Amino acid sequence: MSRGSLLVTDLSVQRSGRVLLHPTSLQISRGERLGLVGASGSGKSTLGHALVDTLRAQGRRVAHVPQSPDEALDPLRSMAFQWREAERALGLAPDYARQQQLCTALRIAVDQLGQRPWGWSRGMQQRFVIALALLGTPELLVLDEPTSALDPVIAARTMKLLDSVLAHGQTAILLITHDLGLAARRVDRLLVMHDGHIVEDAATAALLAHPRTPAASALTRHRSWLTLPC
Amino acid sequence: MLSVDQVTVKRGRVRALDDISLRLPAGQTLAVVGESGAGKSTLIAAVLGLIGLANGRISWDGAPVAHCRPALVMQEPRAAFNPRLSIRQTVLEPVVAARQPLPADRLDYLCDRLELSTELLARRPHEISIGQAQRAGILRALLNAPPLVLFDEPLSALDAVTQKHTAQLIADLQAEHGFAALIVTHDLGYAAAYSEQIAVLRAGRIAELAVTARFVRAPASDYGRTLRAAAVALGALDDSA
Repeated sequence: MSRGSLLVTDLSVQRSGRVLLHPTSLQISRGERLGLVGASGSGKSTLGHALVDTLRAQGRRVAHVPQSPDEALDPLRSMAFQWREAERALGLAPDYARQQQLCTALRIAVDQLGQRPWGWSRGMQQRFVIALALLGTPELLVLDEPTSALDPVIAARTMKLLDSVLAHGQTAILLITHDLGLAARRVDRLLVMHDGHIVEDAATAALLAHPRTPAASALTRHRSWLTLPC
Repeated sequence: MLSVDQVTVKRGRVRALDDISLRLPAGQTLAVVGESGAGKSTLIAAVLGLIGLANGRISWDGAPVAHCRPALVMQEPRAAFNPRLSIRQTVLEPVVAARQPLPADRLDYLCDRLELSTELLARRPHEISIGQAQRAGILRALLNAPPLVLFDEPLSALDAVTQKHTAQLIADLQAEHGFAALIVTHDLGYAAAYSEQIAVLRAGRIAELAVTARFVRAPASDYGRTLRAAAVALGALDDSA
């Protein structure tokens, strides 16, 4: 195993006797950009959660950004308070310079950190959640449908900012999405899930060109709405 | 034809719609795109006559829109059904309300086209998938054969594969039945693939109104270009050809 890579073996999840995730092993290299795609109910989020829990139990630094910022933010606390809380949870001392730097990179208005989430646009809330996730320079950032609660202009801007923040290559990402079009442009390797199994694991270009399973071909066939004329 | 002429809707002091004019010919599709809060759903409410106009006029073939009994397909498919009734009961409510007998085979025919089984119609909303619920919503909208159907984000609750399948079903049924479709969506990719005209709304105003093929090639407005670039960045429009 290469240095700095993350490894889980035979991960599985059952709930009330039903297998949601069949035994799955996965290796993620340092800084790798990985996409996890599949239809609703195929087990993507289940794998994401199980992966986060297992890797944290191994002592690895893993951060998780849920689909909607509502799931991650406390409506009663100021953003500044939630920032300090996140630092404390990671055992970090308050660091004003780091806050400035992350907020600037993700276009978060530092002068509004005293407000509660409901004063903020959803796009900025989601960027704030991403900023918190990046605080401890995680080895893996799990992004679970990070843009589906955002409208497209904001979503595109958020993904672009995220790309620039992750350009240092220390943090691997796992982008979970039902939308192959979204994943195709920003990950190097794709995992396709179907009925609780990873049915394909391939380089993005190879998978797009030659999907081997019905689940993957359905996704590639429906990758985008329209191919633009050159 | 649906005619929207110089329509303004006020919510308090804010102009939720500001001097909107549109034409949607029978059988065609007009997509209304724009970011959250642009006024897309307000436009639907105005066309349906659910909110009053501060100014302007909306008509179908010169008469009030309500006379043509337009139908609405909603964004959250399961929430659009009464949880205490079977899907069949809710689907038939507009038929009962219209007090006009349904052609004998219309329900069976539409169920067949929308891949909904008799057994499924006996279930309640929480016992079916979101994709099935949205197809049932389309069934309810089309039973009375309305000449105008409004779709409020009809695909946004669905996964990518189900989205494309449902979009094609809507288009096929439109080709067979000839209803005009006003589709509100934030997904420019969907709009680009399935409409004749695109109206870009921003802050209650029309930023751009264009024939879809022209818009997809080269939007004329700055905001139209921003939307197109976002759709490309998110993979909804594929520029890799």
